[in-house]
Amino acid sequence: MLPFLKIMLRNLFLGPSTDPFPFAPAKTHENFRGCAVFDPEKCILCGICRHVCAAGAIQLRASEDGSGMQYLLWHNSCVFCGMCAHYCPTGALTMSNNWHLVHAGADRFANCISGFVRYGECSQCGAKIQPRPPVIADKLGKHSPDRFLLCPKCKRQSIAMNVAQARPLFRQDVS
Amino acid sequence: MLQFLTKLASRSPWIYRINAGSCNGCDVEMATAALIPRYDVERLGCKYCGSPRHADVVLISGPLTLRVRDKVLRVYNEIPHPKVTVAVGVCPVSGGCFRDGYTVDADIDHYIPLDVIVPGCPPRPQAIMEGVLKAVEVWRTRLEEGVCSRS
Repeated sequence: MLPFLKIMLRNLFLGPSTDPFPFAPAKTHENFRGCAVFDPEKCILCGICRHVCAAGAIQLRASEDGSGMQYLLWHNSCVFCGMCAHYCPTGALTMSNNWHLVHAGADRFANCISGFVRYGECSQCGAKIQPRPPVIADKLGKHSPDRFLLCPKCKRQSIAMNVAQARPLFRQDVS
Repeated sequence: MLQFLTKLASRSPWIYRINAGSCNGCDVEMATAALIPRYDVERLGCKYCGSPRHADVVLISGPLTLRVRDKVLRVYNEIPHPKVTVAVGVCPVSGGCFRDGYTVDADIDHYIPLDVIVPGCPPRPQAIMEGVLKAVEVWRTRLEEGVCSRS
């Protein structure tokens, strides 16, 4: 009988259901998908984030002096789909639960992540290659850690040398 | 007297919504911010009004499609000065995932000066409330200085 009485009594003791947001911090779930966070230390400039970005919010611009690349993620174009963080092989891009992105209209082009990623150097000839941070070196370079730090040209040479050493007869035939 | 009214007016902004070809995601969040007791934008003195002639703060959502552009501008010009424009979602600023579409005319700033931007796709209701509060601050300074939104 009168089931609403139970609900009414419960609501009396539960207090207001309004989130007191502007006067107190709002409740945010830890899995809430807010803006992306970029860590230039882990980035290897593979560009998969730019490739999968549905809204075209990510840009990679080569710097004028050729020492690295400017990484830009414009929050005013990002749709928070999280694909960039999903596909990032090193975890350089992650989604935070920060949603405090309100800003004045005048600084709409300043509302972006801007990071500078330096190119790596070939450990043999010093040519510019994609950066090789420890995150990716431990993952992909486990097989042959020395060769992982080489540029494509030096890598081809070292592989050819290895083959030549392993099969000296073959080497004689060729020469 | 006018100063006294200005002080009072900035405590109860009337909000008007314009849908400039939005996917309705942001509109749902704007309705949520007003209708659900959990967010309840009306306790901040805000009120959604039905006519653009009563409005003080305009919430615009959507990437301004070509089909709706002239109608949006007509409605926008009916709002009395000083008006404050809030872009809800990323679409009015950049077009979001509709960017570079053949019917999309974002950036909306070519037609309408945007004062506050609430990025998100869609932004959560609290973020919209944050944006409205910021817009009210802008509106207060405009009321005190007596400037219109284009000057």
